[in-house]
Amino acid sequence: MPQVKIIAKNFMDMVASLPAMKLDKLYDNAFICEAILRSLPPLAKKYVLQMLYIDVPVSAKSMQEWVLADGFSKHNVAIDRLIQLRLFTEAVDRKKETTYRLNPTFQINLQKHIIHGGVLPREPMPSNITVRLPSLEDLDAYAAEQWECFLLHLISSSTQGEKTTNFSSSLMKIFQRGLLSQRDKEPPKLTESGFQFLLMDTNAQLWYIIREYITNSEERGLDSADLISFMLELSFHVTGEAYNMNTLTDSQRNVIKDLADLGLVKLQQGRKESWFIPTKLATNLSISLSDTASRKLGFVVVETNFRVYAYSTSKLHCEILRLFSRVEYQLPNLIVAAITKENLYNAFENGIMAEQIISFLQQNAHPRVAERVPSVPENVTDQIRLWESDMNRVEITPAHFYDEFPTREVFDAACDFAREYGGLLWEDSKTMRLVVKAEILMHMRDFLRREKQ
Amino acid sequence: MTPVTQKLYTDDVSLLMVLLDTNPFFWSTSKSTSLSFSNFISHVLAFLNSVLLLNQFNQVVVIATGFNTCDYVYDSSSSPTNQRAETLLRKFEEFVVKDEQLSKEDSVDGIGNSLLSGSLSMALCYIQRVFRSGSLHPQPRILCLHGSPDGPGQYVAVMNAIFSAQRSMVPIDSCVLGVQHSAFLQQASYITGGVYLKPQQLDGLFQYLSTVFGTDLHSRRFLQLPKPVGVDFRASCFCHKNTIDMGYICSVCLSIFCKHHKKCSTCGSVFGQAQTNAPSTSNQKRKTADT
Repeated sequence: MPQVKIIAKNFMDMVASLPAMKLDKLYDNAFICEAILRSLPPLAKKYVLQMLYIDVPVSAKSMQEWVLADGFSKHNVAIDRLIQLRLFTEAVDRKKETTYRLNPTFQINLQKHIIHGGVLPREPMPSNITVRLPSLEDLDAYAAEQWECFLLHLISSSTQGEKTTNFSSSLMKIFQRGLLSQRDKEPPKLTESGFQFLLMDTNAQLWYIIREYITNSEERGLDSADLISFMLELSFHVTGEAYNMNTLTDSQRNVIKDLADLGLVKLQQGRKESWFIPTKLATNLSISLSDTASRKLGFVVVETNFRVYAYSTSKLHCEILRLFSRVEYQLPNLIVAAITKENLYNAFENGIMAEQIISFLQQNAHPRVAERVPSVPENVTDQIRLWESDMNRVEITPAHFYDEFPTREVFDAACDFAREYGGLLWEDSKTMRLVVKAEILMHMRDFLRREKQ
Repeated sequence: MTPVTQKLYTDDVSLLMVLLDTNPFFWSTSKSTSLSFSNFISHVLAFLNSVLLLNQFNQVVVIATGFNTCDYVYDSSSSPTNQRAETLLRKFEEFVVKDEQLSKEDSVDGIGNSLLSGSLSMALCYIQRVFRSGSLHPQPRILCLHGSPDGPGQYVAVMNAIFSAQRSMVPIDSCVLGVQHSAFLQQASYITGGVYLKPQQLDGLFQYLSTVFGTDLHSRRFLQLPKPVGVDFRASCFCHKNTIDMGYICSVCLSIFCKHHKKCSTCGSVFGQAQTNAPSTSNQKRKTADT
């Protein structure tokens, strides 16, 4: 997936941007320490481990001796990251040397972890109370369905009647902001980033939504640091186990309900107790979201004749295909579409890039074709790229046109002047006409005025 | 170190195979050196915890190298995250009892040597299984925590294991806890591109483990790690299992003998008459030892 501008890379970038006070508070929670450690670049992890039992500050100079000559850039990235997350505190000692030491709260929490091993944030409920727990497959299916339902709801105009989520419409508006644009009296239209959003993989989409959810939490009276710590804690629960709702605080219970709509958890009600079951989406939250370990099975077969066969029953997939192809038939389990020039032009106008379409087709390739190299026929990918470059055949540069020069000397001098500024676009010495870039208009004007005198 | 296949995993996901030396004769004599077996285990447990802490996809497999047998003791992929230590220790106890039962038959003189070749082979088998499970697998490495002296009788088996590790690009790290250097492990780490270290102060074992052996293969490209000072390349002969400086080599199968034979015992090739006063350089290979 090409880097799209609306992705903040992951959870930890968001954590890093928290104010220092809140960040320090976060480290009181052992799970956050663990999640944060895991999110660090490999070298940074290594340094934390190495300094775990060192109680005195370590000078920057001696740390540099740990790395080989060609690892310095990585070393600096690691140190910067550690300082940014306030895991390292920088100080200058008596000898005027920079020293680092590990954040004490963080250090103690990790030391505990290393001695006692991993613990679970909550004890799962005994199986005699929770009777009908869903199997892992059912749970995955449930999560996928909830998520898809949410996405459909998100992109379909809010006028549609079927209300499937209990998100307040204001919250939904927040999610839609940036993805949909609405002009007066027109139905809402997907924006450029909205299209890109649909073509991202689930983890990236989920992250985008969660990010919006967290950044707007203050308006709903929730502390964003609390929310982050709760979400990270959630990701350390075991998929498919049931956890008692009574162990949550009131505000957490509200959050859980929202998360259930996204498919992160499944709520179930027993005779007396109610419980939540985290799905794979929830446990993947703290994983660096570029991770592809949770990839789903693909469903798209692209043929050399530009036909697309999508083995899917999902309405969402159909909508996505519609973004760049003409849907021809829709059978109960199969969508047949054709990639046409018109549809692609439409897509390009909406701001979708050829690479995004191609990577969508490749990432979702049906297992039967996914083994083949390339999974999408080359002539199709080439053509998509060609059509895209078709759109960019003409380059537009704002320019100014000069003619009727009094003498050839003035014309030549003007040409040289424009060339010097790198603004000469076109010249015709026979008819003494000249086109220059608009940026150097002022310089040109001054120059010609001087020439006149 | 080049990765074996193109990985979809992040760079630093590792599969660590830890081979623990449980030779009772070694640990009973090592009381003089500052590390007791229980201390050793607590250092190792902390190290295992820290490796598993670094990445949720990291996997640790512990193989106990006993005097008579070796066995898988712990596999993080099949055990729950809580009660890690309890599971490991329970299995460990069972293993030690089994090892003891097997050993009653023959009496040993001295420290004896533990079954390094067996546990190395088991580790490699496990790694092969992981390799074949699909394209998505962590990067494997082997860590030998070894104290007993080398058993010359295992020379061929150990060397074969080393070469197969080299072929599948699995580095063997070795941490020697005993008094002497181990020639086997020096060669193993040298050939496979692993790290060989004999810690000076055993009571700080955890710091050694986390600083040197906790480094994943990706980070090793950027970090200063202990370099081999000198490797003992001496081989053992196939006929009497003695470590030798100079010997005879079969030109067909490269088997090593300490004295002249008529026929190679490995491949059956018939040798010519040895020139008794000045052996020609072609069927004699000299190996230097830097000890």
